[in-house]
Amino acid sequence: MKLFDSTNLYYILFSTLTYIFVGVAFYLVVEHVIYQEVEERLTVERRDFEKFIETHGMWDESCYFVENKIELDTAGNLPANYAIFKDTLLYNRYDNEYVPFREHSFISTIGPTQYKVSIRKSLIESNKLLKSITGTMLIVLSIGLLLLFLFQRRIARTIWEPFYATLASAKAFDLNEGRGMALREEKIFEFNELNSVLTKMTDKIARDYTSLKEFTENAAHEIQTPLALINSRVEELIQQSNFSDEQMRWIQNIHESSIRLSRLHQALLLLSKIDNGQFFEHTAIDFHARITTKLQELEEFIAHKSLTVTVTPGASFEVEMNPTLADVLITNLLTNAIRHNVPDGRIDITLTATTLTVANTGAPLTIDPDRLFERFKKQRQSSASLGLGLAIVKKICDNYPLDIHYQYHNSSHTLVLRKTARA
Amino acid sequence: MKILIIEDERDLAESIAAHLTKDGFVTETVFDFESAEEKINLYTYDCVIVDINLPDGVGFDLVEILKKIKASSGIIIISARNALEDKIRSLEIGSDDYLTKPFHLSELTARVKSILRRRHFGGSNEIRFHEILVNYTSRTVLVNQTEVPLSKKEYDLLLYFMSNIDVALTKPAMAEHLWGDNIDLADSFDMLYSHIKNLRKKLTDKGCKDYIQSIYGIGYKFSDN
Repeated sequence: MKLFDSTNLYYILFSTLTYIFVGVAFYLVVEHVIYQEVEERLTVERRDFEKFIETHGMWDESCYFVENKIELDTAGNLPANYAIFKDTLLYNRYDNEYVPFREHSFISTIGPTQYKVSIRKSLIESNKLLKSITGTMLIVLSIGLLLLFLFQRRIARTIWEPFYATLASAKAFDLNEGRGMALREEKIFEFNELNSVLTKMTDKIARDYTSLKEFTENAAHEIQTPLALINSRVEELIQQSNFSDEQMRWIQNIHESSIRLSRLHQALLLLSKIDNGQFFEHTAIDFHARITTKLQELEEFIAHKSLTVTVTPGASFEVEMNPTLADVLITNLLTNAIRHNVPDGRIDITLTATTLTVANTGAPLTIDPDRLFERFKKQRQSSASLGLGLAIVKKICDNYPLDIHYQYHNSSHTLVLRKTARA
Repeated sequence: MKILIIEDERDLAESIAAHLTKDGFVTETVFDFESAEEKINLYTYDCVIVDINLPDGVGFDLVEILKKIKASSGIIIISARNALEDKIRSLEIGSDDYLTKPFHLSELTARVKSILRRRHFGGSNEIRFHEILVNYTSRTVLVNQTEVPLSKKEYDLLLYFMSNIDVALTKPAMAEHLWGDNIDLADSFDMLYSHIKNLRKKLTDKGCKDYIQSIYGIGYKFSDN
């Protein structure tokens, strides 16, 4: 729910309740005032009536021609101090309808007999008054509320505008640009605070990120350059023919170790680059197509071990990811399946909409399967592999909604790549 | 053939120069951007080898200068950064090749020669070594005027040998040349061995002298002595 909608909802709810409460209260107050007024008049008329009885000793209907205005009845056994006010409906013979009246009944003694006297006053005028007062009042109140509501919306829009501007620039913030968010000075204190905190924070993030990136790049440069020198000097040494076989073997060792060191370094750099999130550009990767291409590139290696490769494309396995990382992921999975295979072995690749399974034949693991994805965990510590291939695979999976599992079943190593629910 | 080497690491520059000089090239080395810029503007080179990271500038800018003055030099960028963006960028601005440090000198020689071959397309499109004649436009190999049918990898291997005559080539360098540096399968040495065996057999079958010499523990050398 949007900020405006949320505040508006509360506003509308609250003002409706107030509106109802004010309406009811107003109606009751006005009604009360009117009744008081009517009853006061009825009391005055009672005094007039009693005065008349005192003067004339009798009651004469004729001086009151208004219908039903004063009515005398036998008192029955009502007490002498009986006096009540009540509402009643009386029939109006001209309008053919019942009309509300307020009635005051009391006991009066005319001559020897006691009578119950009822004096009535029509409430029709008062009701009309009540209705029109309440109605006008509600209309004025409604217009007031509506205006307030519109005004509040307008104000909110203006007041929150800087917040939305900040939100928009936060959304557009790109680490790759190497600087923090550029936010303007605001008049409202809190927004100004927010902006300055955000600017400081993003500046720091951008600075840290840039220095980290520079560090990895510089480290790469600083280490690769001496390695390049070692390599080229060794190659020059090799050109000399006056070394003994043993010396040649040493030189060869240096050569191979420096190559290994350089590859190890490249792989570690890749791991830290993934960790730092230095791969931004994402596209939908069709794994089946990529695997087919990669298998063609590795064809010679597959043929060399006489491996049988089957690819079962059940459904297209597509993941939104960085193309370079996808390539690394697929290369590592496939070379892993080839390297740890046995001659005349098999590689079975199965794709479904949510899983990619790479199964290869091979000798049982000698290390703990749970530690397979750790760095430098190798089947044989002396083997030529770097021991980083699966660690890189795992790291790439961790950066995407992908999950990787290892199973060993029927002398077949199976790696299952599964899409997780995380979007 | 004149080659300019722009590399701030003096020893490495010297090593590259020494290797190329032995192959018959005339080399000049500069260690910074400023002197490189001067050289480029004053002289013409057949090939320029540029390091991206220079103390006072970026190698890419030198490539752009070369393109601006319409120099016909072939350009190879060497960089410590194995980043795809750099590779793409260097090719976009017009360099011919991109080599990541550390590289093998034999590989650099092969790349330089390949560029020079492409550059001087109008001239000869053949290279000869005694009775072996390689036509690199039609990718055919003739020994004593008879064609030797070679697989793609065998052809690549032969061309690599012929770009590095009399140079001891290490097995890792050869494997990387054939399969790229991201393939580190131990099997590659076995495969290399079988390719060499096949190439040697195909050449000698046509009456060619066996120029492929094994160097114990190291690798191979293509030589006539």
